Amino acid sequence: MKSRGFFLFFYLPLIGMAVIFFLLSSLNRRYISNKVEELVQEQLEATADILKVNIAHLLDENITPERAFETYFQEEKIYYMALLDEKKEIIAWSSRFEGYLPLSKEFTEDQGSWIIDSPVGPIFNNFSYFSTKNQGIYYLYLGYSLQNLEDMLFHSRRNFVLIFSLIILVGVIFFFGLFQIQKHYLIKETETEKEKKEKERYMEISAFTSGVAHEIKNPLNSLVLLFELLQKRFPEQFKKDIEAGENEVRKISRIIDQFSSALKPLELKKTLVSFGDLIEEVKQIVEINASSKGTKIKLIKKGQINVNADKDLLRQALVNLVENALEAGTGGKIIITIDAYKKRKIIKIEDSGGGIPQEDREHIFDPFFSTKKNGMGIGLYLTRKIIKAHEGKISFEVKQKKGTVFTIELPGG
Amino acid sequence: MRRMWIFSLILILTGAYIFTAEQKTEHFYNVDKEITVEGTILEIILEPRYKGSAPFLILLLEQDQSKEKYYVEVSPIWFFEQDFHKGETISIIGSRYSGQEGTQNIIAREMRSKGKTMTFRDKRGFPNWRGGQNNRQMRKKVKKY
Repeated sequence: MKSRGFFLFFYLPLIGMAVIFFLLSSLNRRYISNKVEELVQEQLEATADILKVNIAHLLDENITPERAFETYFQEEKIYYMALLDEKKEIIAWSSRFEGYLPLSKEFTEDQGSWIIDSPVGPIFNNFSYFSTKNQGIYYLYLGYSLQNLEDMLFHSRRNFVLIFSLIILVGVIFFFGLFQIQKHYLIKETETEKEKKEKERYMEISAFTSGVAHEIKNPLNSLVLLFELLQKRFPEQFKKDIEAGENEVRKISRIIDQFSSALKPLELKKTLVSFGDLIEEVKQIVEINASSKGTKIKLIKKGQINVNADKDLLRQALVNLVENALEAGTGGKIIITIDAYKKRKIIKIEDSGGGIPQEDREHIFDPFFSTKKNGMGIGLYLTRKIIKAHEGKISFEVKQKKGTVFTIELPGG
Repeated sequence: MRRMWIFSLILILTGAYIFTAEQKTEHFYNVDKEITVEGTILEIILEPRYKGSAPFLILLLEQDQSKEKYYVEVSPIWFFEQDFHKGETISIIGSRYSGQEGTQNIIAREMRSKGKTMTFRDKRGFPNWRGGQNNRQMRKKVKKY
């Protein structure tokens, strides 16, 4: 899914954009290059025409071709020149490079222009005939430097590479951003969908449980009344058994109440709560249980920290966590730390138990999930529900050596 | 030290020849007259060939089969790096032309000697000492209008 999204929202548009730019730019450069070559060709043919007229004039004046060449070979851009007779035999030639006159039969068959490449850049070649006043037919072969054209094309290529690199860079940033937004949106959408389904499911469970609880509670209340009546009427020797029966019925009633409260939406009654006082209270509540297990509870308070919260619910959440920590192992110690970082208030509960098995880690906050023999699996579920209701976060970390650390983060204060 | 002497001598000779050199315009690298000759070096000559250019290394070569003699124009002396002697057999690819005195001449493009190949000009005769084929990749096609 991720790689598909990356392909669709990053690679595909980026490559598409790069290919389109490359094609358009290449076509454009090709077009400009051809146009410039045509212009250069026209200009050089005009130069060749002027040279032919001048050389013809000098020949008419009986000046030798060599001297005529000396006159016109001063032009820096002329690399080589040759004068051929009507049989296309070279009469005179001159070249800036030792022995270099790339004229072959391949080119002298017809008149025309062509470009050849050389180590000093492309050379424009022109082969055309002219005549003198005394009807002499001559051919002029001319090699002209196209260095300017080559420089221009080089700059064009360099600019293309620069712009292309820039576009790729901007494209990478843009499409990566786009991909991140899309990924974020997809994750949010999936989360929302999941939350929606979860809500619907719990609403159904809640409605069902409330109905069942209501139906069970009525006969249970009748049973309690019946046990009370029986206790009054029965002889003394049965009273203990009847009391035990009544206690069991009351226990069932309490469990049903707990289930009902776990599934009900929370209504917060916020006040300014001192974290320090709150964890002292929590310590007092669990102290007897801790002593019986031989576990010590240590409190670390990093400053006076207050938070705007529902004190009773927050206390319940913390008691749940500390009791869980107590059940994680006999002996050892539990460290409760309160701290503040920027605007976040943090409570850490660290035990020295055996940790949470890998396979249970993703389910520990699920309702009715418990690994304890007598657990109902609503403690951590309810804790998370309370923390979420306070717009806080709860997370846990299983330490490599021993124990688990639960961290609660609450906003503001 | 010996090398320094030789180098200095070459420089002096080069300078002297540059000022006295006259371009012999009757020959150029004609691709239509390219031949391959294998023969033995009879003589090693230093001679000015082109106006304003350093003296060239010229080899008098006797073809092994026909015993025909060729004056092979190799390259400016400074460009030639291979050590060779009279009596050695070499193979030359170059453009042939006839001299005014009836001599047979070759402008060398490539020389093979002792298993090594030395290239002096590109396939159209452009001298490598004036930029050389290593400077850029040659365009294979000729664009004709």
